[in-house]
Amino acid sequence: MPHLAVSDVRAKYGALEVLKGISFEIQKGEIAALVGPSGSGKSTVLRALMGLTPITGGAVEIAGEAMNYSSAREVRAARDRMAIVFQQYNLFQNMTVMQNLTLAPLKIKKWDKAEVTSEARRLLGLVGLSDKADAYSDQLSGGQQQRVALARALALKPQILLLDEVTSALDPELVNEVLDAIRKLADEGMTMVIVSHEMAFVREVADKVVFMDNGQIIEAGTPAAIFDEPKTDRARDFFSKILRH
Amino acid sequence: MNYRFQFGVVWDNFPELLEGAWLTFQLGCFAFAGGALIGLFCATVKTYAPWPFRLLVDTYVVFITNTPALIQIYFLYFGLPEVGLRWSNEACLLIGLTLNAGAYLTLILRAGFLSVRVTEIEAGQTLGMSLIQQVRYIIVPHIAKSIYPALANFFIVVLVMGTSVGALIGVDELTGQAINLSTVNYRWLEYFTVVAAMYVVLTFIASIGLALLGRWAFRVKARIF
Repeated sequence: MPHLAVSDVRAKYGALEVLKGISFEIQKGEIAALVGPSGSGKSTVLRALMGLTPITGGAVEIAGEAMNYSSAREVRAARDRMAIVFQQYNLFQNMTVMQNLTLAPLKIKKWDKAEVTSEARRLLGLVGLSDKADAYSDQLSGGQQQRVALARALALKPQILLLDEVTSALDPELVNEVLDAIRKLADEGMTMVIVSHEMAFVREVADKVVFMDNGQIIEAGTPAAIFDEPKTDRARDFFSKILRH
Repeated sequence: MNYRFQFGVVWDNFPELLEGAWLTFQLGCFAFAGGALIGLFCATVKTYAPWPFRLLVDTYVVFITNTPALIQIYFLYFGLPEVGLRWSNEACLLIGLTLNAGAYLTLILRAGFLSVRVTEIEAGQTLGMSLIQQVRYIIVPHIAKSIYPALANFFIVVLVMGTSVGALIGVDELTGQAINLSTVNYRWLEYFTVVAAMYVVLTFIASIGLALLGRWAFRVKARIF
């Protein structure tokens, strides 16, 4: 049974159909990477999974359980199982790093405080920011903020982690510290769906690469198959442009 | 100028002025706090609710902000007894000021709502927050910080300008107390000179309090001067 099964998912912005029937699945512990040109709908897939963009058709299953996005409660059920990290980190500016991590587990999930705090410390250690627990986000670099966002998403113990171009807004020298943190998660067996332009990184960590264009999946397969021997002209054209440098 | 200031009589009655100042301070704080709650509720409605509710809020805001506070308080003061409600002068003033502040604060807070980054809201949503939790944990702290100066200024407006309207319906706040006392011994200039100074001190104390509150609760680097 796949851990995440997306079948024929559709989404619209007004009259414009931005997802025209997206289907893919991943097993527990696998990492899928969505790649493709800007505007191809990669980020929309993640937003649709999180219930930020309404789904107009298709089905999503997590560990065999059907997700239904028809009511606020159903959307929250999906958000219980997945967490997302955004390109712009989106930390709560008025809170410390520690508060960012513990707010949702304590106030929304009402989990035990001692456990939440020790888990938050473990996660800060994992992303290499143990010494920043009491810092505010405006005192951190972009890379540090993004690692906090990663830890914050993990604090809710999601079954699946979605990463939406998490390194795109970072200075080049800060990209690696974030990628390292994601590598550690991959080693821990976290199931992830990644939207990324870091092709070398995708090739390294992804089990499956999904190439999208114009709201559709053009090709999907292992990194080697997609990057080295793309079957479609569209994919060949795209990769020849971006893999050259 | 032949006028000879005689402050002696003012000092004799200073405790009464202090009482007035204390009442002014309380009225200002309660009206502002109540107004802030109304404003927060109405700004939430204006941002998220369907149009009939928004229309209701707009009507309230337009009615209040386009008429003088004194007239609104007169409506409560003279109107309520006609429908069988006998409130004290202080209650009429406090309710009137609160409703008045609520309308202005709806507009001020609405600006704050609009300035919250959508991305921060989305982060909250994806962490599983309900609308009320988003307002409580993301929007209010953001507003408190980003429009802190506007809020602090408006508090002073309520504290100084708002409450002094009470003098006209017989509330013994600072201005009312000064009018009462000077009608007895005709030392108007002396009384109002001292009262003006007391307002400045009151405002000053309130500003320090607000700045400390802002620093403590919302990390606002507020300055008093």
